[in-house]
Amino acid sequence: MSESIPAVEIRHLVKDFKTSFKRQPLRAVDDVSIRIMPGEVYGLIGPNGSGKSTAMKALLGLVAPSSGDCAIFGKDSLKVDSRNEVGFLPENPYFYKHLSGKETLEFYGRLCGIRGATLKDRVAELLDLVGLEDASHRRIGGYSKGMLQRIGLAQALIQKPRLVILDEPTAGVDPIGSREIRDLIFKLREQGITVFLCSHLLEQVQEVCDHVGIIFRGKMIKEGTLEDLIAIEDQTELILKDADPALIAEIEALIARDARAELIRSGKPRTTLERLFLRETGKIS
Amino acid sequence: MKPLSAHTAHAYRIAVIAFHAFTQLVRMKVFYFLAFFALILIASNFFNLPQHEGPEAAGVDVLRAIKSWSLGAMTLFSVVLSIVSTALLLPKDVEDRTLYTILAKPVPRLDYLAGKLLGVMLLVFVSMAMMDVLMTGILHIRTDMVLSDQMAFAQANGWTAGEMESLKKDILAQGPSASLHGAVFAVFLRASIIASLALLISTFSTSTLFTTIIAFLIYFIGHFQADARAAFLSQEAGMSDGFFAKIITLLVALVMPDFQLFNVIDAVIEGQFLPWVIVGKLTLMALFYAVFYTIASWLIFAKKEF
Repeated sequence: MSESIPAVEIRHLVKDFKTSFKRQPLRAVDDVSIRIMPGEVYGLIGPNGSGKSTAMKALLGLVAPSSGDCAIFGKDSLKVDSRNEVGFLPENPYFYKHLSGKETLEFYGRLCGIRGATLKDRVAELLDLVGLEDASHRRIGGYSKGMLQRIGLAQALIQKPRLVILDEPTAGVDPIGSREIRDLIFKLREQGITVFLCSHLLEQVQEVCDHVGIIFRGKMIKEGTLEDLIAIEDQTELILKDADPALIAEIEALIARDARAELIRSGKPRTTLERLFLRETGKIS
Repeated sequence: MKPLSAHTAHAYRIAVIAFHAFTQLVRMKVFYFLAFFALILIASNFFNLPQHEGPEAAGVDVLRAIKSWSLGAMTLFSVVLSIVSTALLLPKDVEDRTLYTILAKPVPRLDYLAGKLLGVMLLVFVSMAMMDVLMTGILHIRTDMVLSDQMAFAQANGWTAGEMESLKKDILAQGPSASLHGAVFAVFLRASIIASLALLISTFSTSTLFTTIIAFLIYFIGHFQADARAAFLSQEAGMSDGFFAKIITLLVALVMPDFQLFNVIDAVIEGQFLPWVIVGKLTLMALFYAVFYTIASWLIFAKKEF
């Protein structure tokens, strides 16, 4: 029964911001509807200022919708109890610099009502998950950008939420840190946690998300499963390894004999600059 | 882990935020001011007031100076600490976006505000307690010195036992006493009102500087509020039956505290007894304004968007 309740339900969300005197209000989000089912990884993509963060903030009750409504697992997101099930990592978070990584997680855990041995175990578990055990006693003020994002992700997960909202989770992070965060998102997906992330790094969204929405100037212009959205229906890709040039010539001859089929391109596939960087730095083989 | 009841959960969250705010301020090294306080305290020992009394009162003025300088320094530190800390905490959380992560947890906005305010109050209370201990210690040593000097003087001049007992009583009245601790507590109460006022201002202000300036202005206005009210009432009573004047002054009194009520601190410096009824009244007054300002802050903060 609970699986049929959407993890996120945004219905006809409109958000206007007041601007200076006598001016028209600025419409940041214009009639956006999003439905994310439990276990899905949903990516909201769009350029800067397109309304992604505002939609997320409305979902967390940080801004009140001008019209429409938002719900988390069926609970009105303006109500505090809806936040029991959600973890949030804002864009470029700055946690309290005077606290260590461990103290930061303890603070957020206590805010969620976790105490005693349960809190201690959960903090240790999360520090291990995000790979910050060695830096757990260091003050946050001395953390790198990637470490901040990882501790941010850990605080978002402290109360074992069923939904995690990530606003530009890899913004300003180097490729290695970015990869680590992406791996963590994969781990969350394996655990059945719903992930709602927004980013303008399209390649990254393509790698981790199974559902995607494209938002532009406050309006949702395209939405669906990643496969549906990016597949080119009338084309087929064939990637061969250690193929003999004679075999390739034979395949090309076969294609040429077909009246309908057309060979668009053949050649060596290229790796991405990111994969090259990670391979050269020993992060992947 | 046994889940907390709704009321306990609120209290627990408020305590978590309060202790965190306290830790945050402590790690900003605010307690360094205690070194300055100690210096002021030592300096007050050497500050000689013009003496108009006879040799039998020699040294008593030093005791008064220690109390006066200490309570003056406590007032200054407590007011600055409560305004600046409160004005700093909230905008800093918004600016650093740490507020997003806190409000994205199941934390009601009222719990957040109450926690921050209590954290500042805890800091001021601990500071006051430490300064009180320092002041009482110095005053105790100095009172013993003055007492032995005066007793020697009385004996050398052949004073009767009754006269000596009376002199001893007069000197001890200027030394450490429960009334003095009551005065320190009154300083804390006044700072608590100021902190809650700064919290209210910071919910709608756009900068820490604005909050600080307005809070200091209201603090100073609070010292003249009663006089202005009395003058206004007597003026109005001449023109009409004074009904509207009474309503206006009541509203002013409701929104703006009358800090003249805290003048009892000056009486304690003079060695007078501070009745516990007065301390009780001041406590109730501080509680009223702290709750009033916190609720007003919440009404604004609940609608605020980030």
